[in-house]
Formats: sequence, C-alpha cells, structure tokens
Amino acid sequence: MNKRILIVDDSFYMRTMLKNMLTDAGYDVVGEAANGQQALEMAVATNPDLITLDVILPDNTGLDVLKGIRQQQPDAKVVMCSAVGQETIVNEAIENGALAYIVKPFSEERVLEIVGSALQGDGSLA
Amino acid sequence: MKSREQEYRELFMAEALEYYDAMSRHLSELERNPQDVAALNELFRLMHNLKANARAMGFVDMGEVAHKMETLFGQIRGQERAFTGTLVTLTFRAVDILGNMIRAVGAGQESVDDKALIENLERFIQGQEPIETQAKPTEEEAETDAARKLELSDLVYIPVKKLDKLLNLVGELVIDRDRILTLAAELNSPALRATAQHLFRISDDLQYSVMDVRLVGAGVLLNKFPRVVRDVAASEEKQVELTLAGQDVQIDRNVLQLITDALLHIVRNAVSHGLEGPDDRKAAGKPAIGQLSISALTERDDVLVQVQDDGRGINTEAVRKKAIRKGVVTAEAAALLDEEGVWALLFEPGFSMAEQITEISGRGVGLDVVKLAIDSLGGRLRVASELGKGTTFTLVLPTSIAVKGALLIELDARAYAVPLLHTDTVLALANDQIFAVGGMLMTRVQEENVPLVNLRQLLYAEGDEQLPRATRTELPTDGSRLQVLVVSYGNRRLGLIIDRFLRQQNIVVKSLSKPLDTIDLFGGVTLLGSGQLCLVLDVPALTRLFLAKRP
Repeated sequence: MNKRILIVDDSFYMRTMLKNMLTDAGYDVVGEAANGQQALEMAVATNPDLITLDVILPDNTGLDVLKGIRQQQPDAKVVMCSAVGQETIVNEAIENGALAYIVKPFSEERVLEIVGSALQGDGSLA
Repeated sequence: MKSREQEYRELFMAEALEYYDAMSRHLSELERNPQDVAALNELFRLMHNLKANARAMGFVDMGEVAHKMETLFGQIRGQERAFTGTLVTLTFRAVDILGNMIRAVGAGQESVDDKALIENLERFIQGQEPIETQAKPTEEEAETDAARKLELSDLVYIPVKKLDKLLNLVGELVIDRDRILTLAAELNSPALRATAQHLFRISDDLQYSVMDVRLVGAGVLLNKFPRVVRDVAASEEKQVELTLAGQDVQIDRNVLQLITDALLHIVRNAVSHGLEGPDDRKAAGKPAIGQLSISALTERDDVLVQVQDDGRGINTEAVRKKAIRKGVVTAEAAALLDEEGVWALLFEPGFSMAEQITEISGRGVGLDVVKLAIDSLGGRLRVASELGKGTTFTLVLPTSIAVKGALLIELDARAYAVPLLHTDTVLALANDQIFAVGGMLMTRVQEENVPLVNLRQLLYAEGDEQLPRATRTELPTDGSRLQVLVVSYGNRRLGLIIDRFLRQQNIVVKSLSKPLDTIDLFGGVTLLGSGQLCLVLDVPALTRLFLAKRP
C-alpha cells in the first residue's frame, strides 16, 4: 500500500506544489491542513505515515503544533518545512522529535529524498 | 490542458494578491495601533509566505523585498525596533512595490526592480536611517494609485467570464422553461404539466445555484478601503478612524466591480469634504478624529452599501446656490426643491462641490460618476444629512444583475416590464382622487403630491415638444378607475397611467443590440413564457424625459 502523507501549510500554492510532487512519486496525500487546529484534527482523523509541517501558521507556531501532534500521537513522523531564516525554530523542532527539515524553496529531488528517508526510519507508526 | 507551470503561476498570483490586500489592511491597523500584536504576527506570516512562494517561482526581487520585510517585522515583534517615523513610510512604500511586482507577474511583464528600496530596507535592518525619503506622489500618481488599490482579483478560482456565460445560458433556459409551462397549460396535458413543473423546480434551483457561485463577500471590496482612506486622510492632513461592517454580506462580484469607482468617489468625498480637519472639529466641539464607516447590509432582495461620516453635513443652501450658478438647475426650479431634492443635485453632471481644489478630489469629475454606475445597475442612491452632524450615502444595489424582479404591465395590448427596484406603489384611482395643477394631473400618495402622466404619451411622443396641458376633463366619467404605477427615482416619484397590471415575475434582462441600444427609454428586453417579447422600461430615463417635457 502507498504511504500516506498529511500536508500542513498555510499557503495553498505551497500545498499544491508539495501535493503534486508527492502524488507523482506514488504517495497518497490523505489530507491538507491550512492551520494548526486543522492539522491536529486531521492528524488524528487520517493517522498518516508522515506529516509535512510548515513552521509558521496563522493560529499557532509549527513548533506548538509539532508538540501537540507528538502528544496525541507519540509515534507520528513529522518533517518540518521552512523558508530560510527560521533555523532556530527548526533546530528546536528537531529537538522535539521532528525527523528532518526541508528548506523552501525546495527541489523535487530534495523533497522526495527527505520524505523517503524519513519514512524508512524505524516505521513504528502503524 | 493547462501546464503545471501555468497552474502554479495562477495559484501564486491568486494567493499573492490576497496577501497583498491583507498586508495593506494589517499595515493600516498597525499604524493606528503599533501595539497590535495580531496585525504584526499576520504581517510577519504573510511576508514569510510571500517570500517562500516568490522564491519557489523564481521571482528573486520579490522574494528579497519580502524577506527584508519579514526580518523588519520580526525585529519590531521582538521589540528591537519601533514602528514609527520613516519606518512607517518605508513599509507602506515597500508593500506598494510588492503589489506592483505581483501585478507585473500577472500582466506577464518584467518584475519592477527597486534596488533603492531594498537598500533602504537593509539599512533599517542594520539600524541605520534610510538614504533618501520618497518624493510625494503627484496628483496623477495618487489617483491611479488609489484606483489600483481597489482593483478586484479576477481569480475567484473560476474566471468570472465563464460564470457569466453559465448564467447567460441559465437565463435562456429559464425563458424556455416559462414557454414550456405556458404550452403545458394550453395543451391541458397533465403529464406534460407535471414534467414542466419538475423542470420549473430544477431550473429554479439551477438558476439560484449559478447566481450563488457568483456571489462574493462584500469584504472583497470593503477590505481594500483602510489603505485608501489612510492615503487620502494623510494627504488631506485629517485624522480618520474607519470602521468596516458587513464584509460577509453576499453580493454579485460583477455588481461589486461596477460600483468600485463610485464607492471610491463617495469615500474620498467623505474624507475630503465631509469630514473637517482636526482644528475645525475641535472648534465645533467634536473629537479631533473623524469617524467614517463603510458597511454592507442586506435589505430584502437588495444589498445596501453605506458610507457614513460624522462631518459637517451638507449645507443645503450652499448646494442650491451653487447648482444655480453652475446652470445645473434654474433658480425657479431650485426654489421648489426640498432638502432631498437639493441633495440629489450633487450627483448631477457638472456639479462639483469642492470650492477648493484639493489633491484628492479636485479632479473635475464629480459624483455624477456615482449616479451613472448606480443607474446602469438599476440601483438607487439615497442621501441623508444633518448640518454639523454628518452625512450618509446609501447605495441600494441588486444582489445580482442578471435576474431582476419586475412588474409586468400592459399598454395597448403590449406587455412592458418595470424593475421592482423602481416601483413604489400600485394605485387604482377614482376620479375624485385626482386633481389638476399647472397643466399636470396630480394625486396624493402618502402626504406627497405625485404628478401623473399617461405612459402612452411618454412612449409615443416624438421630438422635444412639451406634453399637452392636462385637465380633469380627460378623466373617465363612467366611474372606472385609472390604473397607476408609481415609480421612484432619485427621491422623485412619478405616477404612470397604464392600461392594466399583469403580474409580478422574475425576468432575465437581455440588453438591446445595435442599433436599438441607443433608445434610452428601454433598459433591455426579456422574453415572456408566451414567447412574447417584452421591453423593460428604464425608469431613470422615463423620469428625465418627463421632467424635460412636462408643461
């Protein structure tokens, strides 16, 4: 079965681009969330294999959302997405359990490489 | 099929324009209250997103400006820097430049390169003062600038043109449906009638669904005004607090588009003529900051857009004198006008209230633009004002332009439609309810004298000859009653004598095609279920004709 991915980003443009890249590579994008609240709800509802999480969201910081997701689903695999300039948050995210981060603007190869290796980890998420 | 690149570009544009609008709005909020953390957070986020998206699209300069702005707002948020003085001017300028860059992308042009701006932003980030301050824009630039800030996005996820076509097709369908219903009744076939009734329900649903798709929140336009008001107030050296309301009120996107210029005029007029300067206000015992509100609300099938100020109000006598001086109205006619009649003169061509040419409003074009736009929509304009207290302009607009409620009337065995927006009352007048004054028949409607005119005379009269003087001798003596439709336009009521009333019906108005489109007594044509062609009367044009020809 294809691996299932949830995309969290407040920009429709970014979500569409990511979704196209991932879908073309054979992943199932099971949901798109535009803010932190949606992200937390959809993470539970879709129980994805991987979540891509933007660091700046309208209602919450990506970091808080990450903590929230890890609290409700301790095994969730999360990859952070960020434009340059937010390195401090990204480092903190890694300390809080994010597996990797993708720097925007991203190339397709880079995204697939990071997503692929994050998914290959210990695979504890059912 | 659209290429993926094309799709990304459109998505980028739609979102970037949205960001630009929101940035302008939040920047005005932040200027008003530099402690507004929510506005600051949003500005930071929007700059961050624009930066990321612009870079992904390869728009390096746009990404760079957004990046520097993000950094600056980050510093302001971190209280390393205060949002005051030249920084305020610079950020407004930077948002303008971003807007230009985004529009350049939309128009497929080269991106605007502004190295000086980027350098100044960088100087600010480093804690230095900018090198040069921007020259004040010329009158012309201010004008185009303000107009551009009101531009509506064409991307409502579906190009509006396609929706127009869809609605036109639905219009055709509705006409056929009415025809089938009539046939079903004529043929007296129960099976056909049942099917026709089903068709009626479905097409009704379809019509409203399509109209619904074209509806947008009034906020799409209203949210652009904080920036415009700020600019006008700044250049007029006035302090204005703007309140918006009813952004969620649903209205046809094309209606909004058509009233954009009109609303811009009214709002500018309110700031530059309605509201006083801070000193005058204090002298009048008012707070120095003028209050301006722009709100949208629903009233039955109409949408009202109101612009209300707490300024000096309209000086009725000054307007009356000026209208006479400008030749808009004769002294005799002006003397007869009541307050509302005088206010209506503000919207006559050639009238412009500004005694003093100001940068913003002294452009020769006046509020007559407003009237034209509203008339073309079949809407109405109301004015209410109290000297020293303020003025309220109300645009009464149809929710949708394609389907109008209309009253069908008959004259010489022909049907005519009158848009409900302009109908006031329906009367059946007995002989003794009519009196003659100055060659005109009149009747009393709600404590007001309303002139009566035979619609036949207005429609059939040729040339510029005056209407014949009317006397009570031409009234029926057999006890029958005159059928009168009272129409209203611009605070003025007129009773049209007709043969009979048919019914009320929703009609789909088609504009007259060449060469008939020059006949201004008819606003268009519609097809009735019977297949009969029905002309739609243009009440504003009829009223004007009556005023020009009355004895």
